[in-house]
Amino acid sequence: MEHYNMNLTLKVWKQKNTNAQGGFETYSVKNISSEMSFLEMFDVLNEQLINEGKEPVAFDHDCREGICGMCSMHINGRAHGPWAGTTTCQLHMRAFKDGDTITVEPWRSGAFPVLKDLTVDRTAFDRIIEAGGYISVNTGNAQDANCLPVDKHSADLAFAAAACIGCGACVAACKNSSAMLFVSAKVSQLALLPQGDPERKTRALNMVAQMDKEGFGSCTNTGACEAECPKEISLTNIARLNREFIGAGFTSEK
Amino acid sequence: MLNAKIPAGPLNNKWEDYKGHCKLVNPANKRSLEVIVIGTGLAGASAAASLGELGYKVKAFCFQDSPRRAHSIAAQGGINAAKNYQNDGDSVFRLFYDTVKGGDYRAREANVHRLAEVSGNIIDQCVAQGVPFAREYGGLLSNRSFGGTQVQRTFYAAGQTGQQLLLGAYSALERQVALGNVKMYSRHEMLDIVKIDGKARGIIARDLVTGELERHFGHAVLICSGGYGNVFYLSTNAMGSNVTAAWKATQNGAYFANPCFTQIHPTCIPVSGDHQSKLTLMSESLRNDGRIWVPKKQNDTRKASDIPEDERDYYLERRYPAFGNLVPRDVASRAAKERCDAGYGVGTSKQAVYLDFAAAIERYGNIEAGKRQLSNLSKAEIIKLGKEVVAEKYGNLFDMYAKITGENPYEQPMRIYPAVHYTMGGLWVDYELKTTVDGLYSLGEANFSDHGANRLGASALMQGLADGYFVIPYTLGNYLADEIRTKPIPTDHPAFVEAENKVKSTLSKLMSIKGTKSVDHFHKKLGKIMWDKCGMARNEQGLKEAIEEIKALRAEFWKDVRIPGSENEFNPELEKAGRVADFLELGELMCIDALHRRESCGGHFREESQTPDGEAQRDDANFSYVAAWEYKGDGQYELHKEPLEFVECKPTQRSYK
Amino acid sequence: MKWSQFFNTSIGKKLLVGATGLFLCSFVIVHLAGNFQLLYNDEGKAFNAYAQFMGHNSLIQFIAWGLKVVILIHAIIALKLTFSNRAARPVKYAVNPGNQTSSWFSRQMAIMGSILFIFIVIHLANFWGKFHYAEMPTHTYAGMEEPLKDLYALSYETFQNLWLVILYVIGMIGLSFHLIHGFKSAFQTFGLNHKKYNGLINFVGVWIFGILIPIGFALIPIVIYLKK
Repeated sequence: MEHYNMNLTLKVWKQKNTNAQGGFETYSVKNISSEMSFLEMFDVLNEQLINEGKEPVAFDHDCREGICGMCSMHINGRAHGPWAGTTTCQLHMRAFKDGDTITVEPWRSGAFPVLKDLTVDRTAFDRIIEAGGYISVNTGNAQDANCLPVDKHSADLAFAAAACIGCGACVAACKNSSAMLFVSAKVSQLALLPQGDPERKTRALNMVAQMDKEGFGSCTNTGACEAECPKEISLTNIARLNREFIGAGFTSEK
Repeated sequence: MLNAKIPAGPLNNKWEDYKGHCKLVNPANKRSLEVIVIGTGLAGASAAASLGELGYKVKAFCFQDSPRRAHSIAAQGGINAAKNYQNDGDSVFRLFYDTVKGGDYRAREANVHRLAEVSGNIIDQCVAQGVPFAREYGGLLSNRSFGGTQVQRTFYAAGQTGQQLLLGAYSALERQVALGNVKMYSRHEMLDIVKIDGKARGIIARDLVTGELERHFGHAVLICSGGYGNVFYLSTNAMGSNVTAAWKATQNGAYFANPCFTQIHPTCIPVSGDHQSKLTLMSESLRNDGRIWVPKKQNDTRKASDIPEDERDYYLERRYPAFGNLVPRDVASRAAKERCDAGYGVGTSKQAVYLDFAAAIERYGNIEAGKRQLSNLSKAEIIKLGKEVVAEKYGNLFDMYAKITGENPYEQPMRIYPAVHYTMGGLWVDYELKTTVDGLYSLGEANFSDHGANRLGASALMQGLADGYFVIPYTLGNYLADEIRTKPIPTDHPAFVEAENKVKSTLSKLMSIKGTKSVDHFHKKLGKIMWDKCGMARNEQGLKEAIEEIKALRAEFWKDVRIPGSENEFNPELEKAGRVADFLELGELMCIDALHRRESCGGHFREESQTPDGEAQRDDANFSYVAAWEYKGDGQYELHKEPLEFVECKPTQRSYK
Repeated sequence: MKWSQFFNTSIGKKLLVGATGLFLCSFVIVHLAGNFQLLYNDEGKAFNAYAQFMGHNSLIQFIAWGLKVVILIHAIIALKLTFSNRAARPVKYAVNPGNQTSSWFSRQMAIMGSILFIFIVIHLANFWGKFHYAEMPTHTYAGMEEPLKDLYALSYETFQNLWLVILYVIGMIGLSFHLIHGFKSAFQTFGLNHKKYNGLINFVGVWIFGILIPIGFALIPIVIYLKK
């Protein structure tokens, strides 16, 4: 692959803190290598801003290999940028060309308040997991791992759902800020495994109730979440969540 | 001399005996005992969850926005356990033996044996939590093999085992949060330990969003903050991975053991330029099918495909005919460095070797053609079939490689180079995982205990979870049983005030420098010194130079670093500055440790100590001990030794030829 | 979870929208089949007899009132959801992905639904209101004793107005775009997403409900207008 350098104009959302008024700042960066990752381009920008005595841009990032789920930029209207199945940290500058203007915004959702610049608060996801995204098994309670066979197909589906990295791109991409793909991934993973069966009803009911309480919107099945999910979590999980929830709602005795 | 408090008796009875005799805390008393856990990776999350389940009042801290993001999540390959589900002769003893040998006889036998004993329970626990391990068609768990072993004992979830295990521990943790047993403090960083009457009694933490300092009391403090590979700036660690919590423990009297034992992983995507911020691992499993080579001609600029077969040097196969491309990590890494240093490297940087799948693709193509009973296929058709097989096995890794490099690894060989991956060294702990400070414990990669001088693949996950789920619940009880009369100490105690003032003045000092260079500038410089002089090969002269250079760099840092913003707000640059300040001290200690250990063992290769054909040469007569360093103030450390006794595994020279 | 709580959750509300939506889909088939009788060249005998039956059979009247209630439930809950969904993102994006990540139809449900709702109100006023509450011309057909209200003539008279024809065509475009996404979306909301059936559901949703039926409806005023 041919490498090239580019000069770019960046329009970046700056906001001092949650309560402050935010706005776009325009920066230009020069000689960006096509081999850089998008976040490395931001490193260059921040280094430049620090040298100029200006405030760098705050953004979340950690593993930079697409698995921790911390990075979260809305790039030119796309959650995690233009590449499918890719987190912001794995997006590379090959995706852009010399002279491009790139607009970078934080995840936008009332449930994800901006903390600073491009950093948002996603603890709502943790609270949804607290509401039931687990199997109640204390350490030491477990029987032998091979006691319960799990058919391979279900195990594979459970794994595909469990691949969710909790980045919030589904919420960011959804026109309704719905967290259904996130919730459905966890509900599906545990509903597909026999270990998750005892709590499946309360899990679906409680996690959805918490999701609503956090102020996420509802799902209108547009499919934007699936299209933007860096782990390509399938919409079939949302259907499964609906089945689990409706089944639980119709049959629960409480 | 350090006392590791290893229980008496035969090796395989020690842990049972310990559990049978350690002190217990009754449930009512547990409710009034408070435990602080720093870090929420596999070790921290599993410890916090298990202690919460037992009824202790737990406070867990992580610097990320959620406990689920800890870097355990990035582990790819798998987790070892002596289940012997494959009936291939595995046992607790064999896992124990492989781990001690793989660690080049620098680990403590009793700890490793306990690790092997509880390994099976870890798998049970994780499956019960809903961790979707890979399964066979019959519905039972699948295993694969990993480096350094002759049995199949590695459980895995595609290439995302760490993620799945961490999410399991995280879900257990969140359950305890919901039940009120654990209080979670995310986006908080521990900046000091509070000691009262010689015991760890709490911490000072900074709320990273508001910048406020907080005081937290605990009857005990657990450091589960992971490894310190980021001292090299470039590593496979996450950007935020740091040594700060462990270093504050060191500054408060906990000894730091074997800091120079770092693992360099042979198969990572090479550095592409000065902008590089981190390195990405390509799983060890690729070496099952990929062949590693460089051109036979120095500075060969031809494309890989233009270099004919007889002008390629498959140097691992040449040097190690018995193990070939599957030699252990330390050996493979050094061999790659040797070739590149000698001028045979490939790619623009010349700091890379090829990992070539062409032969595997053709082989799999032929096998597949045979399976499907296709004959008279053209070579192109066979290669097409072979690519499909390879995609099924390694597709996600190949995709990741293509995304990062823009090159298609199905068409041209991958370029790889070794990178810092794991640190075997860490806080010195005894058999109970207690540091040299009472009430201060360390679990997982943050401690030094189980991997000696080299860690085997798929053992890090095992150790983190063993410590958190199955060891600390017992050993901490043994300590806390004597603390039931200790009432929670109010945080206006002078020790808290003093610790907070100390942290505050350090932060103010950092902010007040207002120099000219960014934190990253210093971090990169430190990384280069470490990589060049305390990296894959070390020698006396280089280490001595490194120590001086780090000292000078540290002085420059404290004079010339520029941190924008203020300390009373969300300030990522200030966070980084604090971490780099600690790395600048740790880096020096690593060099001091590497300098003093005049032998080669595992990941620590001293050029002065090698066999005539360039292999690592251990010196058991003089160095069969754990080197635990006591912090004595600015740049001064005192060495304490814990002699290692090998009862069951008699040290031998490792050979892979 | 009590019923009141259940139907107040986001999924519970969507379930109501989906169920009412599918019920309304079944109605449009019947309605279209009946309306095609307008195009018979029998001076409206069949159509008016049908209208007489539909307008006076008590079971059908019950269903017809139920239908109006269902339309209201569908519209009210959907609008409520739409407003709360908008509120879930208080600060909007400066750059939106457009059709890169979702179909245009899927994002216009509220707009199309609203067009459809306005159309339905006008449509009811044009025909149902006049049929039941206004003075109607009658027609006595050969072989029948009683005169029938001549809804047929009313239709032919109404669709002489080009603007109304255009309005009806717009209403049917609204129906089309609403159902292209709405039909299959309801199945997803019920949790019915299965490889083996998705193709069929999609086909029925797009081609039958989204295209054929709206075209069928739209043809009636157009043909009548052209017939004059």
